[in-house]
Parts: sequence; structure tokens; C-alpha cells
Amino acid sequence: MSDQSVLEPVPTGLGNRRRVMTSMHRTEVILAVISMLAFVALAATTNGNLLQEGTLRAVFQFLAVPMVIGLSQMSVLAVGQMNLSVGVLTGLCAMVSASLMVQNGWPAWLAILAGVALGAFVGLINGLLVVVTRINGFIVTLATMTVIDGVRYGINGTATFQGYSDELVRLGRASVLGAPVVFLVALVVALMVAGFFARTVPGRQLLASGGNPLAARLSGISNDRSIVLAHMLSGLLAGVAGLLIIALSGSVNASIGDDLLLPSFAAPIIGGVALAGGVVSVLGTCLAAFIVRLVDVAQAQYGINPRWVDLIVGAVVLGAVLLSQTRDRGRAR
Amino acid sequence: MSTTTETESVPAPEAAEETGRAPVSGLPFWANPRLGLLVVLVALIVIFSAIRPAFLNVQLTLVPMQADISVFAVVGLAQLAVLSLGHMNVAVGRMAAISAFATGFAYDRLHVPLVVGLLIGLVVGAAVGAIAGWIITATGVNSFVVTLALDFGLLGLVSLLYSRFSSGVAFTVRPPGMDALRFDTFGDYCTGNICGPAIPLVVPIAVVAVVAVGVLFRYSRIGREILMTGSNAKAAQLSGIPVGRRVIQAHALSGLLCGLAGFLLAANNGAFSASIGEGFLLPSFLGPVLGGTLLAGGAVSVLGTVLGATLTAVIQKGLNLLQFQVDEMRIYIGLVLLVALSLDRLRHVLAERRGGRP
Repeated sequence: MSDQSVLEPVPTGLGNRRRVMTSMHRTEVILAVISMLAFVALAATTNGNLLQEGTLRAVFQFLAVPMVIGLSQMSVLAVGQMNLSVGVLTGLCAMVSASLMVQNGWPAWLAILAGVALGAFVGLINGLLVVVTRINGFIVTLATMTVIDGVRYGINGTATFQGYSDELVRLGRASVLGAPVVFLVALVVALMVAGFFARTVPGRQLLASGGNPLAARLSGISNDRSIVLAHMLSGLLAGVAGLLIIALSGSVNASIGDDLLLPSFAAPIIGGVALAGGVVSVLGTCLAAFIVRLVDVAQAQYGINPRWVDLIVGAVVLGAVLLSQTRDRGRAR
Repeated sequence: MSTTTETESVPAPEAAEETGRAPVSGLPFWANPRLGLLVVLVALIVIFSAIRPAFLNVQLTLVPMQADISVFAVVGLAQLAVLSLGHMNVAVGRMAAISAFATGFAYDRLHVPLVVGLLIGLVVGAAVGAIAGWIITATGVNSFVVTLALDFGLLGLVSLLYSRFSSGVAFTVRPPGMDALRFDTFGDYCTGNICGPAIPLVVPIAVVAVVAVGVLFRYSRIGREILMTGSNAKAAQLSGIPVGRRVIQAHALSGLLCGLAGFLLAANNGAFSASIGEGFLLPSFLGPVLGGTLLAGGAVSVLGTVLGATLTAVIQKGLNLLQFQVDEMRIYIGLVLLVALSLDRLRHVLAERRGGRP
């Protein structure tokens, strides 16, 4: 949890910049406090079981994928779009990489690179479809989700790929200074995404397009390019999530990614990212993913019926949105 | 059953971006998405039955297909009810699941007759929908987020309820009449030598829903006011429409139709299980969107939704008969959706160039 102070809150693009910034800031602070309290409470009520090395490592190991997948959804939310295909795309990238290693004998690094590139490519197609056909992004990605879902099962049916690369799996389960490698990778990715939105010209343009497309166009920004770029980034991050899954699990099948769509929305929405676009919060998204992960951990620690997790996450999403809404309203008065 | 409904000159946000998009009434007749859908539908039926004559087999294909269409059409209407507001309901599947649970519970524990169980399911569905609508109006939170959170919550709740109250994952009890609803067609009921057509008993239920929703949006005051709210909420409010109440009513209607769809699917499957509604999300959007209902709100096409649902069922059945695997079918259905929507855009652009302009 030492990571949180490293990430900068990302300043937002247009309009009432200062007000939005402080609002964003406050959401992040609240989330940080909540996650700290929840973590401490969990650690205390499980008699310190949570703080044992193995448990702690597992907590952060399996935080990596939700974090990256949340960031993937966040990148399209930044331009006011949605990407329903993130989950299945993650599964597809994982399956393709594994298939290249097992069936074609590609070296691990090349297969993984191909998987990530595939993610970016599919994202590019999503973006181009949205821009060229002018169909709502929700519908376009709903359609591509269906297509990708089919392709994903077409690769290997319902069979499982395993034993593709011992080194990769060893790397996926290794730790550096007590921190799991996959988590560090996710952290680096988060930092890069934060840097992209905060410091680079395309990142700023993307936020401008999301915040106010008309104003962005009048200032010479191509909204179309922003949309394509956002979808590409989203696909790329889905590819990275696929990579992490391959490294973590040691065996993949076509059902991977089925349960990722809802968490992908939960993290940015709890993290304070507006669906309307123009606002991102990398820190908020990561903290929200952490909180959702804690709900999972609590379920495992207390031996609760896993079905309660969905119920609680739903309540948390709604509660977080209500909270930010009442705060906004309170300020507007 | 002329149920195509559009408020005059819809100022949809999407349309506003384009330059000089003509109102729908100014377009030539072939720009009507319903007509294009009908042409595609007929063409597909001809192609499928030419390749596989079994496609026209009554017992094997046509009867189950009608049952499928009934479910898809009602699910599409459930989505349409909130699309009319420019809202979304991503919890359609889970709303159907919770209603199906209520119905199954009523049959299993309370031993109620068929119709009473159906009514209980509808009331539960409408109540859940109304809760969604109430949260949306009370807080002003985006409908997508609210129904997504609700979907999460119901997902957990439904399986908890099933594991607590049923033996495992489903209610297998069947009240009298359920089997008839599942297996019989009107062809099984004869007066003398004259038998009814080979139409499953679930179809009339769906037809009632279609007609009711069509009448609601075309002729009733509530329906028109819901459409106006979807078209421009602010203007609707200023003209004295109780916007909040209309939003709640539209969502309650959506929940009610989800409940009906869940019941129809349970009747077709023969069991009330937790898996009911799992595959509802895609078809719920396919029907209305293919039929020309805008996501922006303010305009709905009930007839188009039925056509869209029929197209989906025909494609699925046809590919099934051509022995495509399930995963291949998904690919083609997704592609068909993309192609159909792109063609729709193309037709619009062409129509505008060809003197659709006023």
C-alpha cells in the first residue's frame, strides 16, 4: 500500500478545473481512508491472519488484474464511451498467447507481445467502428463482445491450455522485496496511464474531447482521433490484463474474462470517474479495485457464501455514487 | 397493430451533431428501418429453407422458434421501455431472474395456481424496476450505473435465495397448466375436425404484451409523456409533466416485462432456475436497436423490436440447422448486428442526399 502516495491525482481537463480537481481529490482521500480502515479492520478481526506473508501476497497478486481492467474501462470512460468487450478481450488475448506458445512453439516473450498487440488491434477496430459508422459505442462494443466471445471459444473449444511456459509462471508467482511481480507490473502500468493522461498531449486532448467535444473541436482537436486512441488504449490494457492472467494462473481456458466486465465498471465508477467523460482518476480507480478486492478477501477469510460478494459490491458501487452525488449537490447549493 | 411511434422531430443528441438531418417523416419510404429489416428477414428465411428444407418443418423448427421469438420480443420490449427515456437497463437478466424466483417460490411453497404465480412474478419485477427508477430520479445518477449496481446486487441475491429456498439451483415443481404452456400448440386443441394453428401457447401472452406496450406508447397519455421526457426532460418538466413519476413508471414497466420474459423462458425450459435471464442482455438491445429505436430516447418502435427479435431468432435457428457451433453462431450474430446497423446508417445518409432534406 506504499504505492498510493506515489500516484498523482490526475488534474482534469476543462470547465471548472479547480472545482473538479478538488472534488476528485476528495474522492481519492475518502477512498484511501476507507481502504485503510477496511484493511485494518480485516487484519484485526482475523487475528492478524491477513498480515501473514502468504495471505498478504495473495491479496496483492490478485489485485493486479482488477486494477488493470479497471484502468482499461477508465480510458474509454474518459472520452465518454464504454467498452463492453474488455472482459472477453482479456480472455481472447490470454488464449491467443497461450495457443501461440503451446501449439506454435513461440517463445514466451514473443507470444505475450503478440497477445498485447492483439488487444490494441481489437481496440483500434472498436474505435474505428465507432468513428466510421457513428453507431453508439455501447452498441458497437456489445456487438464486438459477442464476436470476440465466439472467437475466444473457437481457438480451443472448452479445453484448457497449460504448461505453456514454466519461466513465465514462475515469474508470475515471484516476488520482489515481498511485493508480487504481477502487482508491480500493474503498478507500473497505472503510473504510465496516469502519466499519459496528466502529461502527454494526446492524453490531454483525449480528456478535452471527453469533457466538451464541441470546445475540443473548436480548439483544433480531432474528437475522432481521441475516440480511436481511447479504445486502442483500452484494448491494449485488456491485453496487459490477459498477460497477467497467463502469468498468474498457469492454465487458461476460454471462460477467462467472463467475470471481468462488471468489476471493470465498478472500479472506475467507485473511483469517481464520470460516465459522461472528461474526468479520470487513476488513483481512485486503483483504490476502488483494492476495496473490491478486500470484499473478496473478507469473504474468503470469514468463509461467507461467495454470492454475498456480488451483493456487497453492488451496494458499494451504488453507495459510492450516491455519496459523490450528494457531495456535488451540497457544493452546488 | 401499427405501433411505430415517434414524437415529432426528435432532437436527439446524436442527431444534433450531424448537419441538417431531416426529420424521419421527410425521408423516402425505403429509408424506414422496419422495411429493411423485413427484407433481410424474408431473404434469410428463403436462403435457410433453400439450404435446409428442415427449416420449414413445423414441429422441429417453427414451433420452438415462435417460443424463442416470444421471449426475445418481450425482453426487447423491456429494454425499449427505458430506451424511450434515453435510459438503459443493464439488469434485465437479473430482474427476470428475481421475478422467476418469486414465481417459482409461489408455486413450490404456496402452491398457487399458474396465473397467480405469474402475477406475483410480474409484481416483483415491476417493484424492482420501480426501485431502480426511484433511485435514478431521487439521486440523478446515470441509469447505467444504477442498473449495473442493481445487477451486481441481484446476481448475489438470486443465488442466495435459490440456495436457501430451493433444493439446489432450481424449483422443479410444476403447477397444473405449466406443461401445456411448454409443450402444447393450438394445433393440439380441436373442435371436431378443426384444429388450431401450430402456434405455441406462450405466443399469445407475448402478443398481448406487444400490443399493450404499442398502445401505451402511441395512444396513452402516460406513454406520450414518457416519450416527451425522453426527448427533452427539461422541456417536459416545464410543460407540467411529472418527469420523476414517468421515469419511475417506465422503469417499473421495464421490470414488469423482464418478469414476463423470465416467466416465458421458465415455461419454455420447464424449470425456474437461477440461470434464467443470463443471456438476456444482448438480445434485449438487439431487438430495439435493429428495429430503429434510438438509444438517445424520445422515439420507440415496438413493431421494429418484434422484427428485430424475430431476425435474431431466425439467424440463431438457421445457423443451428446449418450445424454451426455455438461459438461460431456468436461471431455471426455479432457481425450481423454490426452490418445491419452500418447499413442502416448508410441508408440514412443516402436518403438524406436523395432529397430527404426539406
